[in-house]
Amino acid sequence: MLTSLYVEGRSWFHRLPVRAKLISLLLLSLSLFATQSLYLLAPAFLLSGWIYFSLGLTLRQALARVGFVFFTILFLAVVNLFLLPLNEVGALVLRLMALVFFAAAVTATTTISAFMDEITILLKPLERMGLLKAADVSLALGLVLRFVPDIFARYEAIREAHRARGLPIRPLTIIGPLIILTLKDADTIAAAIDARGFRRQ
Amino acid sequence: MNTRDLVLIALFAAIVVVLGLIPPITLGFIPVPITAQSMGVMLAGCIIGAKRGALSFLLFVLLVAIGLPVLSGGRGGLAVLAGPSGGFILGWAVAAYVTGIIAERFIHEGQPESRQFGGFFLASVVGGIIVLYGIGVPWLSTVTGTPLLAAATGSLAFIPGDLLKAAIATLAARAVYAGYPLLPARA
Repeated sequence: MLTSLYVEGRSWFHRLPVRAKLISLLLLSLSLFATQSLYLLAPAFLLSGWIYFSLGLTLRQALARVGFVFFTILFLAVVNLFLLPLNEVGALVLRLMALVFFAAAVTATTTISAFMDEITILLKPLERMGLLKAADVSLALGLVLRFVPDIFARYEAIREAHRARGLPIRPLTIIGPLIILTLKDADTIAAAIDARGFRRQ
Repeated sequence: MNTRDLVLIALFAAIVVVLGLIPPITLGFIPVPITAQSMGVMLAGCIIGAKRGALSFLLFVLLVAIGLPVLSGGRGGLAVLAGPSGGFILGWAVAAYVTGIIAERFIHEGQPESRQFGGFFLASVVGGIIVLYGIGVPWLSTVTGTPLLAAATGSLAFIPGDLLKAAIATLAARAVYAGYPLLPARA
């Protein structure tokens, strides 16, 4: 049900270490926001676009992934045309689209486990301060992935129950039962986790 | 944090994912379709409280960031966070926290029903609308260069829909509070 946005591939961008990609994304966003020059932003846009489209996604898939964000960017750009000088609007559009392309490229070439490894490292300082445990974050993430199909099945069961009684399907009458039924499982799941000693408490 | 709180946080994040899979409803009098997922912030604060609600949404944003298509319409990944509405997504955790703080302060057992409705509605409006827009709109304005005033005026179009969401969240939160109260057991 939840398949990651990662795409298999062997491009050079796939082979870059995750940390390098994330640091470049950070540096790219900082540097693009520091400049207004179209002569820098246009090459950045072309470069990130080229990286994104060379990952092995079909054109249709590639556009579907960024389409919604681009729609928002272009919509705001049209609004901006009435309020700002033309070259500024151009700079804003190029900058955002370059960033979105690059971010989408990082997402498409990084597996969930690679991300989690980096996140565990990022959480180390917090763990040392005693604020949280990195293992708990992975556990919580695993629980979400484990329970989404169950909760969706429950949603469908409630929807069928509505149909069987001829009731209209409204969010209000669905959300309440869905949340109560789901959260009532918390005690059982917590007991099961503790019984297996996953958290070593 | 005990294991039960950890499980509640994860389960609520999973519920928010499922709310994103429910087809959005369109109402005649509001131009924007209502996605059940956008009620998640209000529901999280009102149902599992400030701390757990906020952590639940931090977990949800983590799911977005690592490339799972958990946002309504199957969107996700770093591209969404880099886009104009990234501030709204990052603001969810804060919004859930504020919603939770208000709900925890105003809702007590044994109150008349109407006061509980009032408390949940106030929490949903302040946390889920005022705080969320207070983060998302300046962010959008900074990222896209749209002047703040224009961005704020434009987002007024979403307010009627948001008030309706707050009303639905209020009724749902109160139903859960009556059936299986979790708000008092604070993390």
